[in-house]
Amino acid sequence: MTHSVRITVNGEAYEGDVEPRALLVQFLREQLGLTGTHVGCVVGECGACSVLVDGVLVKSCLMLAVQANGREVTTIEGLRRGGRPHPVQEAFVNGFALQCGFCTPGFVMAAHALLARNPNPTEEEIRRDLSSNLCMCTGYVQIVEAVKSVGSDPGTGRHRGQTPERGDSTP
Amino acid sequence: MTRSDSRYVGASVRSKEAPRHVTGRGRFVDDLVLPRMLHAFVLRSPYAHARIVSANAGRAAHATGVYGVITPDDVVRLTTPFKPGRYAAGLRVPVPEYATAVGKVRYVGEPVAMVAASSRPEAEDALELIDVEYEPLPAIVTTEAAAAPDATLIYDELGTNVAWQGHVSFGDVDAAFARADRVVSANLGIHRYSSTPLEPFACLVDPTPERLTLYCNCQNPEVVYEAITEALGIDGVRVAVPDVGGGFGQKIHLIRKYAVLTALMAVQTGRPVKWIEDRSEHMMAAGHSCDQEFDVEAAVRNDGEVLGLRIADTDDVGGSVSTLTIHFTNKLNNLFNTYRVQNLRLEGRSVLTNKCPVVPNRGIGKPGMCFIWERMMDAVAQELGLDPIAVRRRNLVTQDQFPYTTPNGNIIGSGDYQGLLDRALKNIGYEDIRAQQKTGNDRLIGIGVVIGLEPGGRNAARDMAIFPKSKQMPGAGGVEGATVKIEKNGSVVFTLGAPSCGQSHETTAAQIVADVLGIPPDRISASGGWDSSLSPWGVSCANSGNNFHLYDIGAVHGAAMRVREKVLTLAAHLLKVDRSALDLRDGIVGRVPSAAPNSSADGPATITFAELGKIAYANQALLPEGFEGGLEATYYHSHPHADPGMLPDETGRVRAQYTFGSAAHAALVEVDPGTGRVKVLRYVIVSDNGTMINPSVVDGQIYGSAAHGISVALGEGFVYGDDGQLLTLTLLDYGKSTTLETPRIEIEHHPVPDPYTTLGQKAAGEGAAIPSPAAIASAVENALSPFGARVRRLPLTPERVWNLMHVSR
Amino acid sequence: MFPADFDYVVPRSVDEAVAMLVHYGDDAKVLAGGQSLIPMMKLRIASPRVLIDVNGIAELAGLRRDGDRLVLGALCRHADVAASPLVREHLPLMHDAAQLTADVQVRNRGTVAGSLAHADPAGDWPAALLALDTHVTVAGPDGTRTVPLAAFLVDAYTTQLGANELITQVAVGIPPGRTGGAYAKFERRAGDFAVASAGVQVTLDEAGRCAAVAISCGAVAPSPFRARAAEAMLAGQALSEDLLAQAEHAVRDEASPFADTRGSVEYKRHLAGVLVRRACVAALARARGERVDTLHL
Repeated sequence: MTHSVRITVNGEAYEGDVEPRALLVQFLREQLGLTGTHVGCVVGECGACSVLVDGVLVKSCLMLAVQANGREVTTIEGLRRGGRPHPVQEAFVNGFALQCGFCTPGFVMAAHALLARNPNPTEEEIRRDLSSNLCMCTGYVQIVEAVKSVGSDPGTGRHRGQTPERGDSTP
Repeated sequence: MTRSDSRYVGASVRSKEAPRHVTGRGRFVDDLVLPRMLHAFVLRSPYAHARIVSANAGRAAHATGVYGVITPDDVVRLTTPFKPGRYAAGLRVPVPEYATAVGKVRYVGEPVAMVAASSRPEAEDALELIDVEYEPLPAIVTTEAAAAPDATLIYDELGTNVAWQGHVSFGDVDAAFARADRVVSANLGIHRYSSTPLEPFACLVDPTPERLTLYCNCQNPEVVYEAITEALGIDGVRVAVPDVGGGFGQKIHLIRKYAVLTALMAVQTGRPVKWIEDRSEHMMAAGHSCDQEFDVEAAVRNDGEVLGLRIADTDDVGGSVSTLTIHFTNKLNNLFNTYRVQNLRLEGRSVLTNKCPVVPNRGIGKPGMCFIWERMMDAVAQELGLDPIAVRRRNLVTQDQFPYTTPNGNIIGSGDYQGLLDRALKNIGYEDIRAQQKTGNDRLIGIGVVIGLEPGGRNAARDMAIFPKSKQMPGAGGVEGATVKIEKNGSVVFTLGAPSCGQSHETTAAQIVADVLGIPPDRISASGGWDSSLSPWGVSCANSGNNFHLYDIGAVHGAAMRVREKVLTLAAHLLKVDRSALDLRDGIVGRVPSAAPNSSADGPATITFAELGKIAYANQALLPEGFEGGLEATYYHSHPHADPGMLPDETGRVRAQYTFGSAAHAALVEVDPGTGRVKVLRYVIVSDNGTMINPSVVDGQIYGSAAHGISVALGEGFVYGDDGQLLTLTLLDYGKSTTLETPRIEIEHHPVPDPYTTLGQKAAGEGAAIPSPAAIASAVENALSPFGARVRRLPLTPERVWNLMHVSR
Repeated sequence: MFPADFDYVVPRSVDEAVAMLVHYGDDAKVLAGGQSLIPMMKLRIASPRVLIDVNGIAELAGLRRDGDRLVLGALCRHADVAASPLVREHLPLMHDAAQLTADVQVRNRGTVAGSLAHADPAGDWPAALLALDTHVTVAGPDGTRTVPLAAFLVDAYTTQLGANELITQVAVGIPPGRTGGAYAKFERRAGDFAVASAGVQVTLDEAGRCAAVAISCGAVAPSPFRARAAEAMLAGQALSEDLLAQAEHAVRDEASPFADTRGSVEYKRHLAGVLVRRACVAALARARGERVDTLHL
C-alpha cells in the first residue's frame, strides 16, 4: 500500500505516493531525479547518501521516504545559493578535494553541517566529524584542508556558507 | 611547445571535473535511465564449494513484475566461454569459464543466476524464488589444505589445486649464495585486501536494432567489449563509460561476467536492463588481492651488500583460474626495487582455494615485491648489526648508472634514490628521533624508512615472460590514441583513448593541449565519457597499469601538435606570412613580435581560432591548396623507447613497464602498550614523479594511494571463516580507514625528469600504495624493539601487535 | 538491498502506539531512530509486516531534568545527549558514550532507548548506562512499568520488553557531588561497535577515598555486566595504582567474551581490564573536579 507524502526538497514541494519500503535516497534519485545523492554501501557506513532533513544531517539510505513526510530535505543540488556554488563546494573545487567524485556530495553535505555547527573547526574536530564518510581516492588530506579553508567570517561568526535561516535550500 | 615555454603544464590548474561533482551533476551509470528499463539482480552462491544439482527459474519467472531469468543452463546454451587472457598466462589446460557458475560453485558469492523485473524491489523479491539445489563439497580456505595430496579438487580438469608453478631467475643466484658471508632468511606474508571503490559495479545495456550499447563503469573497456563480442557472438557492440566512481584495478576483470549477463538479459527481454551491484556483493565477489606468502633468503656480505635473493612465493588465487598468475607477473615490474643487486630467483605457486578470485588492485604484486625487499633490508641490518639506512644505501642504484637496465630487462630512465632518502630522513628528523630513542622512555615510538618504485606504462606482452614460448601474445608494447579538435567556434575539444576513474585526466590533458595550442584550459573540454565507437583506443586503453601518463599524455600531445601544424599552415596562408613568424597565444594566432615582417606588411596581424574555425570547416575558397578541411587530428602514441625488450626472451627478460618513478617513505608511529593500537604520528613522502603536469593532482594521487597502503598495513582486509564464508561483508568489518585513522601525509617533490617521455613525466597513480605497507611494518617493528619482536606479516591489527608484545614478553 | 514489503502506520500518542502493538502483535516492529532496524530490514535479517513509526509522538522527544533524575524520552537521540550541558556537567560518562557512538549522521537519528531495546552486546548505551542508576519505563496494554536497566537487559539482543510494549523513557539518577564517571571504548575504527568497552562511576568521600563505585563492561560477555569483584576491591579504598592494577586483573576474570572478527577471547579479556583501568583513572580525575576529555583510544 502506498502512502501519500508531501516533502519539500531544495525548496520545492513535492506531493506524491511512495511505497513504505522506499528509502529516502531512492525517492530522491528515482522519483525526483536528484542523482547527486549516491549509494555506496548497504548499511549506512559510507556517508555518500548524506542529506539534510530539517537542517539535520542524516544518511538517506537509513531513512524511509515516508518518514520525510512534512519535512524539508536539502540535497547537494540544493546547496547552491543565488545560482552560485556554496563556499564549501568552491573550497572542494579549489582544493582538489575530490577525485572520482562519488563520495563528494556526501562529504560536502557533511562538511556543510559541521561548519554550520562549528564555523571554525580544528583539524582534529574536522577529522572526528567527517569520520562518518568514506573516500577511497583522496586519503582525505585535501578534503580536510578544503574544509579548513572555508573558515569563518569574523563579523558574524558564521562560516561563509551559512545562512541565517534554517536549512539552506534555494529554489 | 618545448619544455621551457609551458604556461599551464606544471601549474595546479583548476580542476575541470570537480565543478560537476561538487554540485551533484556527475553522471555515473546508476544515474542513467532509459525508457522501459528493467532492473536486474544476481543470485549468488551461499556456499564456498558445492555442486549445482539443479537450478530452476520457474517460480521466479512467474513472479510479479519479472521479465526474465537467466540460469546456468541458459548461459551454457546461449554464450561462449571467456578466453583466458594475459592474466592467466600460466594456464596450460583449457578451462571454460562462463559468466555464471556452471556445474559447481567455487566461492561464496559466485554468480549463479540473474533475474530482471520492472522495479528493483520486485527483482530482489524474485531472487528468493529461484530454486537452486546444491550438494556441498568441502571448502578449502588455505593453500596448505589446497595443496594437500588428498585435497578435494576445485577444478577437476587440472588434476591439482596447485594450478601453476614456475619461476624466473636472473644472474647467477647459486654463485651469489656460494660467495655470501651469510644468508638471512625470513617468512613474510601479506593478507587479502582490495581497493573497494566507493561506486560498486554497474552495467546498463540498451539493445537497439543496430547494436548493443553497454554503459559500464569499467576501467579497461577492452575487457568487457571483447567479453560481450565473444560470449554473445556479435560484433554490434558499443561500450560507453561515463563517470566512474573509483577503480584502482577492481573494475578491470570480473565486471565482464556482469556485462555479459546484463547484455544477455537485454537480448532475451528486448528491453534495456540495468544491474547495480551492492556493497556486500562487491566485497564477496568483485575480486580481491591474493594472500601472498614469501619464503625469502638473502645472500649478504658482512658489509651489508646483498648479493642475491631467493624467493618462494605462494599466491592464494581463490576460486578461478582466470587471473592465475597476475599477482606473480606484476612482481616483474619492480623485481629489484631500487637496488642494483644482480642475482634473483623468484619461484611462484598459484594455489586455488574456495575464496573470491583475485584481481588487480592498487599496485598489484608490486607492494608485495617492495615489502620483500624492504623487510629483508631491515632483517639484514638486524642480523649484521648495521644501520638499516646504511644497508639500503649500500645497495641502491647510483646516479651514474642511469639509464639503468635491471637484470630482468626493465630500463629505468632516471632517478635519485640517495637524494630521496636524504630528504626523507631530513624531513622526518631521523637523527633526532634515533637519538631520543637511545635516551630511553616508556613510549613505544618507532620509525621506519623505506624506498620503492612506481612503475608506469604497461607493456602488453609482460605477462608472457613466464611463458615466452607461447604462440599467442596478448599484444605487445603499447598503443593509444587521442583526438584534438578546434571547433568551428574556436573552442577546443579533445577525446582520450582511455576512460578516467577520477584521476583528473580531463584537467591534465587540457593543460597539455593548452600549452601546445596556446589557448587557456577553460576554453578546452573533454568530449565526454569514453565511447568505443568514438574514442581512439589501442591496447593501452586502460585506466590501469599507470598507462595515462605515458600513452594518453603522449597521444593528446601528439594530436595537439598535429592540430597546431594545421593552424599554423592555415593562418600563415591567410595572414600571408611565413609560418615561422607566427605564434599561438590565448586562442589567437599572430606574428611573433620580434619576427621581422617577411611579406605583406599591410594584412591583418592576427587571426583567432574562431575565425580559423569558420574558414577551416565552412569556406573552402579560403583554404590553401591541398589543405585537408577541418582543424582536427588523431594521433596514436607508442613509447618511442619501447624496444628492445618488448617481447620476452627465453629467460623471461622483458620490459615490464616503461617508466619508473620512485619515492622514499618515512613513518613515525606509536604503539599503545595496552591495546596494541598503532597510531601514525607522522608520515613523510619524498617523491619523484618526473615532470609534473599538475602538482595538486599528483599530490592527490600520492595521498590517496599512501592512505590505502597504510590502511592495509594497519588492518584493512578480508577474513574468511573455516567454512569459506566471508566474515567481512561491510566496509566497517573490512576495516577501511576513515579520516581518524588516516594520518596527515606530508609530501616533498623531488622530480627527476624521465629522458624518454614526452615531457619528462613519470607515473603518478598507485605509486604510494607500493612502499607504504613496508614503511609501516618497518616503523612498528622499530617501535616494538624493546620486545625484540619481528614484523613479518600484515596486517598489523591492534590484536596482532598486542600479540607481538605479549608473545615476545 | 530493499526491505521486504511492509505496512507503515503512524500513531500520534503512546496509547495509540500500544493499541497498534496489541493489534499487530509479533508482526510489528517499532521504528524510532531506525539506524539498526532499517539496515537489518535491508539485509532481510528482519522482515516485519508492519512498522509502527513513533517519531511523531511529541511526548517522547528530548531530555529534561526531573528533580534528581535526568529523563530521556524514547525519541531522545544520541546527538541530544552529546549536546546537553546538563549531561556534560552531571553525567560525563553519558557524554563520553554519546560522543563515541557511531557517527554524526547516526547520532542525529538513533535513539538511546532504541539502542537499549536492540540490546546489541557490543552497543554503547547498554554498557554505559549499566554503570549508572538507570531505570527503563515501558508502556503496554496494562499501563506503564519501570524496571532497573540490569533487569531490563536479559541477554544478547534480548530484553524484558514484551511484544505489546514500547519504551517511553529512560531515567538516570543525577549523582551527588565528588562523583565522576567515564566511558572508555576500544573500536577497530571510528564509528564501529566496541571490541570492548567500560563504564566507571566513582564517588569519593571527603578523604578522597572511594565511597561508591560502579563498573560496567560491554562487548565482553553475551550481555553487558557489572564487574562486581572489581567493584568490591575498590569500594572504601584509596585508589592506588596497585589497587587499580588488581581491579584490572579481576575484570579480566569476570569477562566471558566470545571470539569473532573483532578479537580473540584472550585479547578481549585483556582489553576489558585495560579499559576499566583507564576509565577509572578518568572518572577519578573528574570526581576530583579535573577536566578530562573523552578518551579516544
